[in-house]
Formats: sequence, structure tokens, C-alpha cells
Amino acid sequence: MSDIIRFQTNTRMLKAFFFGIIVLLSFSCKKKGCMDENAVNYDADAEVADNATCTYEPFEKTQMLTNICDNYIIPAYTNFNEKNIALSNSASGFSSNPTVDAFEALKQTWKDALLSWQQVCFLDFGPAAFVILNNQVNIYPVGTDKINNNINLGVYNLDLADNNDAKGYQALDYLLHQPGMTDEDHVTYFMSNANAMTYLTDVIDNINYWSNYILTEWTGSYKDSFKSNSTSESNAQGSSISNLVNGLCYHYESIIRKGKVGLPLGAFNGFSQQEMPDRVECYYHQESLPFLVESINAMNKYINGASYNTGENGLGLDNYMDHVGATQNSNSLSSVINSQIDEIIEKVGQLNDPLSNEIIVNKPAVNEAYSALQQLVPYMKADMMSALGVIVTYQDNDGD
Amino acid sequence: MTEIKKWLHKLTFSNKSIAPLVVFRILFGIMMFLSTLRFILNGWVYDLYIQPSYFFTYLGFDWVKPFDLYGISLLFGLLLLSTLFIALGFFYRISSIVFFICFTYIELIDKTNYLNHYYFISLVSFLLMFLPANKACSLDAYLGFTSKQEKVQAWSINILKFQMAVVYIFAGLSKLNYDWLIEAQPLRNWLKHQTDLPLIGDLMQYEFTAYLFSWGGALFDLFIVFILINNRFRIYGYAMVIIFHGLTAVMFPIGVFPYVMIVSTLIFFSTDFHKNIVAWIQGRISLKSKTTNKGQINSPILPKRSTGIILSIYISIQLLLPLRYLAYPGDLFWTEQGYRFSWRVMLIEKAGYAQFFVHHPENGMKKRIDNKEYLTPQQEKMMSTQPDMILQFAHHLRDEYSDTVIVEANGVEINIKEPKVTAEVYVSLFNKGSRLFIDPEVNLSKINRGFHHKDWILKNEK
Repeated sequence: MSDIIRFQTNTRMLKAFFFGIIVLLSFSCKKKGCMDENAVNYDADAEVADNATCTYEPFEKTQMLTNICDNYIIPAYTNFNEKNIALSNSASGFSSNPTVDAFEALKQTWKDALLSWQQVCFLDFGPAAFVILNNQVNIYPVGTDKINNNINLGVYNLDLADNNDAKGYQALDYLLHQPGMTDEDHVTYFMSNANAMTYLTDVIDNINYWSNYILTEWTGSYKDSFKSNSTSESNAQGSSISNLVNGLCYHYESIIRKGKVGLPLGAFNGFSQQEMPDRVECYYHQESLPFLVESINAMNKYINGASYNTGENGLGLDNYMDHVGATQNSNSLSSVINSQIDEIIEKVGQLNDPLSNEIIVNKPAVNEAYSALQQLVPYMKADMMSALGVIVTYQDNDGD
Repeated sequence: MTEIKKWLHKLTFSNKSIAPLVVFRILFGIMMFLSTLRFILNGWVYDLYIQPSYFFTYLGFDWVKPFDLYGISLLFGLLLLSTLFIALGFFYRISSIVFFICFTYIELIDKTNYLNHYYFISLVSFLLMFLPANKACSLDAYLGFTSKQEKVQAWSINILKFQMAVVYIFAGLSKLNYDWLIEAQPLRNWLKHQTDLPLIGDLMQYEFTAYLFSWGGALFDLFIVFILINNRFRIYGYAMVIIFHGLTAVMFPIGVFPYVMIVSTLIFFSTDFHKNIVAWIQGRISLKSKTTNKGQINSPILPKRSTGIILSIYISIQLLLPLRYLAYPGDLFWTEQGYRFSWRVMLIEKAGYAQFFVHHPENGMKKRIDNKEYLTPQQEKMMSTQPDMILQFAHHLRDEYSDTVIVEANGVEINIKEPKVTAEVYVSLFNKGSRLFIDPEVNLSKINRGFHHKDWILKNEK
């Protein structure tokens, strides 16, 4: 009997002892508090992290999508469409009055329109992905034989996928900058060749059709579904955030990094990695870098949720990454991505046009620029995608 | 000792009502029918088995191939048909064998699609092949294809309960780790995407919620089976089952798994509960069986001793397989050695990026590989974080380039006997930032596949 009592006393003492330890631990001299800087109740004086007490601003995904849509996507597509209308106008000006001045104006509006494309090219989802807009307006290398053949025949259907590399901005690049021809030569060429003049305006009309199509789609029904379509199952495929991030990552990796620099540099050219100068964008214009720089700068704005027109900062993917506390080497992921973009701009800034020549005479510098472009891929594809909980494709998963 | 022996004997060979087994068969058949139908209607047959040009087979199962569109369609057709037959109890034995073979074969095609709940279904259908689940309330019994019986040996119900228990308890044990309990990862990251959920969305802004869900989830998995086998608390336990799996269904894209578990846990309910269901079903269709009710168990095909031995082998495998990770050094979540087939669900957030290079063995030339030429986005994503898949893909590249002569556009002739394959892989675990995952210098083409430790995986520098 007494044994049982003793046993009970012992357990009681043991319990009291543990309780005492717990009390001591919780009132230990070091100040406890939330030590996560992103939290609302971040405690700068805290010495011991008690992050279970952290509270965060709820992240309004719809607000971010609304900002990106209203302040970037719609204005950028509006501008894209306007620049193409201007291109179309200068083309009709040139065809009714083919002078050297009109030709130079045409070349300028072509350049402006292609720059405006660089600002929307990475919106590679929704309506743009549905029609593969990139293939409709900016495929290269351009099929010069196909173009000349079309012109000679005078019969062609630009809606056929087979003609994708005979239309778009790069077809204009060729038509407006034919090798060995001065501006006067070009004017004479278009004056004497009615088929060529028709082809020129047909190609521009085709681009206009697409820029109008994409703007109408966005300002119509797609806008609202984009803003609201954040499914509750995380950011599963089909949600706007998944679409946006997948489109961005795909376009950056394949069309910008690989297409604009990697391919011409020869990085993807088999074992010999022989340079492929004719693979640069705007090969005939002999000026590629402004278009590359424009696409990177625009992407930077887009990621940071900046306004297209004013550049004013708004809710963007950077804030979303900060919200989930994504880090890379103990820096915030958003800042790592931003400085990588800065580095790309810096490295590309050291290159000279024509890029088709630079990859041969100044290959180490192009290699460096390519490495900078390459390094952004894992930051976006691994780090950003996982931080934003974006699922590559929508199948069931275990959640890993 | 004899007490335990007696207890085990009772758990295995005492006579029990067949009702729970019948209800389980019917519900399993219906769930699998719906789940297979959903899979087909989502177009996943094409996406997962026709579209890819390469498949990540399991070691030892390299002979498993998806056939062509007709072959795989036939497999899915048989699968769909067998689910209905299982539910109806029509040619049950054959149907359950067909289901197990078709389902498991499909799962073995590509480990990209590995899911714990598919593994669970394979195991359950394996068990169903041996269980007399068609001896009542079935077309087989009605038509006289099989004798009718009201009682079965207890093991045929208890083995299903054991299987459920293995799933929950190992899932619970796998949550007892630093990341889950102390860092509340990966839920801490995932819940932050959920602030726009209706009703409970507002809770997601509090870090506390991540801890609540983490600890709650671990406790649920560890103890739910013990609550469900208790007559008094079962009904509360089941309410928890519904709430827990309902929540996960709302929050995460985990498909039909929550519903499968909600339905399967009914096996823990009392005999009377199941008898009522059976009576209700029989009342609705008022089937008068052609065979007379024997009420007795047919003399078992196997002697008790063999049944006991086979059961203990199955049980031992189930208990040991999830523990095999202990045989490997290193961080399990980083290396994933012994990760599959162990009931680790929703445990890690991992993403990666892999750039492969095929090298000419002599002249130092190398070629960058575009994964997209070989893999679907889903395959690429899964491969980029899992070492065994990285190795498999490297071997695939080796085989593609072995003994080849390539004349490149510039006229250079590349003559390769045995290519060297390397990969630069970056992986981010729990959003801590991507870092090099494997040794970028190691020649993967020379490394054998197998269960030995992969020492070419780099340490996860924290």
C-alpha cells in the first residue's frame, strides 16, 4: 500500500519538475518574438525566434492579377496594337507615295512595332498561347526563298502554318533590309514590283490582324476570367498565376535565352557548337540587341508588377515571392532575380551590334552574357515556380 | 505467449460476418469506376502514356511498356469493366485479378506518375484477389456461380484494416521530423497561397495555422486508426476522417485520394453497421438467391498454417518496406533514397532544374541537351529532383548517342563510341533556394542503376 503512495508522490514530483522546467524555459531572459521581417508583427528587439507567433498580411492574389492585368498587360497590348496600326499607316503611305522618306518612316515604324512586341512576347498564355502568337508574328530565321517565291507567284495564304517563317516582323526585316541594297534600291524595287508591294502590305495586315485579335480577346472576356481565375487548389494548372508563370518561364527559357542568344551563339548546335550567325533576330537589319534588351527590361517591369505606362511599382510576383518568404542563399528570391536581371542588362550592354558578327569576333563576351541569361533559368524555373506553388501540369499529386 | 497466440488466432481464424467485406467490395468497385472514368475523361491516358516518347520504368520492370494507343485503351477498357464487375460481384475472382494486373501494369509504366494512393489501390486490389468478397450480395452468388456464405474467416477483413492502419500510421511516423514539426514545412509555404479560401482563408495568414495543421495532421495520422477501432469513439473518429480529408481535398490537387480514404475507412465500422447496409441493398433490389444459404464457411482452400505463413510474410513486407530508408546515409528528403512506397504524403516541397551534357569521350566536345525533346513537362519536373530518374535519363541519353556518327551542319563528323554524360542540376527544397544537387563532373553513363547508395548526390548545404 505504502509503495503505491510513494509511487504516486514520485510521479507528482516528476510532473511538478517538468512543469517547472517548461515555465523556466518560457520565461527565460532572452526576449522571444517573431523574427521574420516579412511578418506584420516583426519584432526587431527579439533575440529568440518564436516564429509560431508570426502573422502575415494575407496576400491578395486577385489584387495582384488585377494590377498586372490593368496596369501592364492591357496597356502593353494596347500599345502593341497602336504601334502596328502606325506600321500599317506608314505602309499605306509608302505604297501610295513610294519615296525614300516614306520608306525610312516605314522602317522606323517597323522597328517601333517590333520593340512593342518585345514588351508582350512573354505573355505566352491564354489567347496568345492558344494561337501561338509568337509563331504568327516573330519567327526566325526567316524563309527568304519562301518569301521570294510567294512574291513571284503572287498567290499565297499567310494563314497557313507553313508560311509562318515568311511573314511577321522578320519577313519585314528581310524585305526592308535586303542585302546589298540602299534605301533608293528598295524604293525602286517596290515601285517596279507590284507583287512585292502587295506582299509587304499583306504581311503588315496579317500582323495587324493578330495584334487586334489579341487586344480584343484580352479586353473582352479573358480579362475578367484572368483576374478572378485563381482556383482554390493552390495555384494549380488552369489558374491565372500558373498560366502567367508557366508562360513567362517557357518564353524566357526557349524564346529569349535560347532563341535570341543561345542558338546563334551555337550553344545548342550539337557537339561542335559552331556559331550560327544567321539565327539572330533581325539578321538583315543587323541590329538585334535593342530587341533583346527591350524584352528583358519589359520582363523586369512585369515581374515586379510595375505599371506599363508610368513604371510605378505595384503588387507583382516579387511581392508574392516575398510574401511566401522565398530565399536564395539567404537573400530574398525577388532581390536575387532582380539583380540577376541587372547583371544580364550589364553583360548585354557590353556587346555591340551586329550580334551576328559579335558572336564570332567577341565570343567570350557573348558567352558571358549567355551565362547571365542562363543563370536566371533555375531561379525562375526551380525557385520561383516552387515558391509560388505553381504546378507544371495538372495531374493528381502527392503534394511533393 | 499463449495469450498472444490465442489473440492472433482469433484475429485470423474466428468466424466473422461477411457484411463488411461485401460493403468494402461494392464501394471500392464504385470508387475505382469513378476514378478510372475521371482519369480517362481528363485525357490523361493520352497525356501520360501516349504522348511521352520515353518512360521512367522501375528497376526490374523495364519490360513494362505502354503499347500503342489501342493497347493502352484496351487496358483502360478492361480496367473500367472490371471495376463494375467488382462492384456487382460478377465474375468477381477474374475481375479482381484483371483489375490488379491492369492497374498495377499501368502504374509500373512510368514512375513519373507514382502516387502513394495508386500504390494503396494496387495493394488493396492485390488483397481483394484472395478475399471471398463475392460470397454474398453479389451477382455471382445470385446466379449460383459461387456458394453463398454469411461468415468469413476474420483475417479477410482484418488484413484490410491492417492495410489502412499501415497507411495512416506510417504517414504519421514520417511526419515526425524536424521540418514538419518545428519548421511547419512545407505547410507553412503552402498555406500562404490559400488566403483566398472561403471561410477559413483568413486563418492562413497566421503562422500558427501552419503549426496547427502540421501537428494536427501528424496526430491525426498517428492515432486515427486507434480511434476508429474503438466502438465508443468511432463516430467521432469518422467525423475527423471526413473533416481532415475534406480539408485536404479543398486545399490541394490530390484528386480522388481523400474520397477513397473517406470511403475505405468505413471498414472499421461495426458488423451491425455493415449488415444494415447489406440489408438495405438487398431490400432495394430484393434478390432471391438461387443458391441456398449455407451459413457455413466452405472448407478453406489453404490449411490454417499456410494462411498464417502467407499473411505474416505480407505483413512483414508492409512493415519493413517503409523503413528501408534507414539503410541509406544522408538527408532522406534531399536524396529520396527509399522515399517511394513508404506513405510519405505531402511531406516536401521540392523543385529543380536539370541541364544535361553529352560529351565526346576524347576530344572534349560536348552537346547541351534540351530535355523537352525527350520528356513531357511533368516528366522533366519529376526527373529534375529525383536522383534515380536523373540517372535513368542520363542512361537514355547514353544509349541514344552510343556508337553513333553524327555529321553536323558545319561538316564536322562526330564519331562517338561511349559518350560521357554529365548533368548540372539545381534543386530547391522547402523554398530555401536552389543549389547544386549532384556532382556536375560525375560521368552518369558509367554509374549502375540499383539500390546501392548514390554517393554522387551532393550534400544539402543548409
